[in-house]
Amino acid sequence: MLQNAWLIPLFPLLSFIVLTAFRRHTGRLAAVIGLAATGASLLMALMVFAEQWQGNSFKAEITWLEIGDKIITMGYEVNPLNALMLVIVTLVSFLVHLYSKGYMEGDSRISVFYAYLGLFTFAMLGLVLSPNLLQVYIFWELVGLGSFLLIGYYYFKPEAKAAAKKAFIMTRIGDVGLFIGIILLFWQTGSFEYDEIFKAVANQEISQTMITLTALLVFVGAIGKSGQLPLHTWLPDAMEGPTPVSALIHAATMVAAGVYLVASAFPLFEASQTALTTVAAVGGATAIFAASIGLMQKDIKRVLAYSTVSQLGYMMLALGSAGYTAGIFHLTTHAFFKALLFLAAGSVIHAVHTQNIEEMGGLWKKLRLTGPLFLIGALAISGFPLLSGFFSKDEILAAVYADGRYGLFVLALIAAFMTSFYMFRLFFMVFSGQPRSKQDGVHESGWTMTLPMIVLGVLAVVAGYVNTPWFGTFLNDYLAQGPVELAHEHHGPLWIPIAATTVSLLGILLAYLMYAKKSLSRDWLSRSFPSVSDIIYNKWFVDEAYEATFIKGTKAASCGGTLIDRYIVEGAAEGTVSAVQLLAKSGNKVQDGKVQTYGTVVILGLAVIFAVVALTGGYFS
Amino acid sequence: MNGDMIAFFILALCAIAGGVMMISSTNVVHMVVSLIFTFLAVAGIYVTLSAEFVAGVQVLIYSGAITIIMLFGIMLTRHDKENEKKTPKLRQFAAGGAILVFFLIMYGKIKDLNFPQGDVELHVDNTKKIGIELYSNYVIPFELMSVLLLVALIGAVVLAKKDEKEEGGGKE
Amino acid sequence: MSSVPLSMYLMLALILFCIGLFGALTKKNAVIVLISIELMLNAVNINLVAFSKYSLHPGLSGQIFTLFTIAVAAAEAAVGLAILIALYRNRPTVSVDEMDTMKH
Repeated sequence: MLQNAWLIPLFPLLSFIVLTAFRRHTGRLAAVIGLAATGASLLMALMVFAEQWQGNSFKAEITWLEIGDKIITMGYEVNPLNALMLVIVTLVSFLVHLYSKGYMEGDSRISVFYAYLGLFTFAMLGLVLSPNLLQVYIFWELVGLGSFLLIGYYYFKPEAKAAAKKAFIMTRIGDVGLFIGIILLFWQTGSFEYDEIFKAVANQEISQTMITLTALLVFVGAIGKSGQLPLHTWLPDAMEGPTPVSALIHAATMVAAGVYLVASAFPLFEASQTALTTVAAVGGATAIFAASIGLMQKDIKRVLAYSTVSQLGYMMLALGSAGYTAGIFHLTTHAFFKALLFLAAGSVIHAVHTQNIEEMGGLWKKLRLTGPLFLIGALAISGFPLLSGFFSKDEILAAVYADGRYGLFVLALIAAFMTSFYMFRLFFMVFSGQPRSKQDGVHESGWTMTLPMIVLGVLAVVAGYVNTPWFGTFLNDYLAQGPVELAHEHHGPLWIPIAATTVSLLGILLAYLMYAKKSLSRDWLSRSFPSVSDIIYNKWFVDEAYEATFIKGTKAASCGGTLIDRYIVEGAAEGTVSAVQLLAKSGNKVQDGKVQTYGTVVILGLAVIFAVVALTGGYFS
Repeated sequence: MNGDMIAFFILALCAIAGGVMMISSTNVVHMVVSLIFTFLAVAGIYVTLSAEFVAGVQVLIYSGAITIIMLFGIMLTRHDKENEKKTPKLRQFAAGGAILVFFLIMYGKIKDLNFPQGDVELHVDNTKKIGIELYSNYVIPFELMSVLLLVALIGAVVLAKKDEKEEGGGKE
Repeated sequence: MSSVPLSMYLMLALILFCIGLFGALTKKNAVIVLISIELMLNAVNINLVAFSKYSLHPGLSGQIFTLFTIAVAAAEAAVGLAILIALYRNRPTVSVDEMDTMKH
């Protein structure tokens, strides 16, 4: 089974090709084709995972290019990490395909939508299976393309168009870093292979500075893709895409690609303390920064988007604190409960046709399935005891504490508090109380939409039990089978889970008091500290800062470039053109069809030849 | 300065004067008439070069036939000076300059050129000798020339004749 | 025996040729252009006759060639004029500048 793992990405690719080629004829069949393809991928991924579970790894490569004595290969590999990722990606992708069938009902471009989903899934699976950095980079860009296409799916909306462009450009900044990092690694080690690079790192064939530099450059790529500070601004804007897309790409899979990249290149990072510290610091800062923005947002999807950024920061923090297992564990559980939250949000939007939470309220009784499922997701992300988020978050906190960065530990705790607060602010505003706007015809979504949510809801509850201090650390043992010794178990003191739980419960309680009981005024912050709330509401003015610095700067530079282009380059070009035109015009004038003009030209030529011969004495003399 | 020289200079002056008058005149008929002077002067030049027969032919053909044909051509077409646009100055200068250069260079090359005069008495029995030459050495070119003249005659008639089909076919 | 040197005849021929050339290139009237060409031919004829007398091998060849040239010139004048008349019938003008339909 493992040697057939390369088939997994090909099913979605096939679906993409078929849907693109026959997009005029598929129509409603598009969903079936997409579902069949991802379903087949899911089945194969599960089989691969099952086989991998028994401790088999597999790697196959063929020679792609030979440049001098350097051989560049391409192939695929199955190891514990990517077998797990295969399952996550195919499962979420399958559920999103199913969910989209209901959510996108009636959209005239449904086959295009499914084709894009297929392309994205193909790219993501290819990225996961890649055994070398060059292949990773190719699929990395393809993933970015898929994301671009899907964010801009409603291309007739100017916001969606702008968001797609923004996502593409912002991630491109990170991609350049990644590309430079890959090239540097190839220069230093002569190979794109993970194994070769790790061997070179382990044998100290590369200087410490170079390790740090390349690790940081690879991390820049991860920053771009995973929406870390300071390249996070594209992710909330990407919510302009259809909600299933947000669930698939901007919650569960693509944004996790950055985390996955850092995880799969973890031996490289481990070799450099500076790189690890940077990763942890960026992750921690992102976690609290995005969480603070999430407190004030009014758009249901944007709250979830900032929550995603914050949780991705958490994963980075875990990886930076040498908590390899913790990072992957949180990636897994996050994929499930964040996809659940997005799908539930999509269900809410589908029912009330607005994304503004100020206009919602009192939906608990109307959406009998979505409400509880959203609650499960919110509890899971808040780290409520015995749900999946509780275990993974606890793992991260333990890792950070064990790593000894207490400042970051405190930050993580505060971020956890904020997380539970804004999630329950969202929950209470949407589901409790009375409707704050007219809502007609609100009804529960169809089974194609609720079934994926139920599956994800179950997973959001139970996914945590794969790695707990009490029932056994299956995930850690599993990941420890990898080729390199990566996974370390962190058993923090008992007070850590208690503190984390307390903090999250406090957040929930505060949200309850403010938004459900209304015994605390909900706008005390904006009243007592108007400037603070203003800053947070406007997302710390990051977009505005970029606007003022990079965009203005680029515009100024391009203005200068325009001037150069217009007056120097174009001047030279125009000069050449007009010189040629002048020549042509004079030639044209000579050929006016009048015999005497021709005669004059002939005589002129004759005179010139005579003059030359007479003055030089002739050629032969 | 002997008689030969005087005769040559007078004839040359007449020829050049006729040419210049032709160039400077504005009246078409005057142009043609001034060229008659040139042709006649050239005939005189031929006489000084001991070519009496050629001089006679020159008078008959050029001064007579060709000039008359040209005059007929002028009479058959319309010539109103007002409608005639001037030749562009640029082209005039270009042609004049080129011709001046050409003239100066040729002048530089031929001004010192001189071949010794042959001792053959060309003017003695000139016409008879030409006749003998034409009907002996040059008989084939001579006959060909007659064919050419015939062709030119027929061609001229065909070209100048009104196209009957066109006339009958419809009004223009 | 003539005492006029050859270069004098050549010079006269050159001047007449240049006048004819200038006329042929600048005159508007097609008849005048034709007659200018005749002038150029005449200049050539002077050369031929002059070389038949002043030469290393003097003889009648130059004069006979002159006769041929005159015959050709006469034929040319006749055909040229016929073409002119034919043209004039189509477009009532004798201006050479307007005879440019072959350009298109």
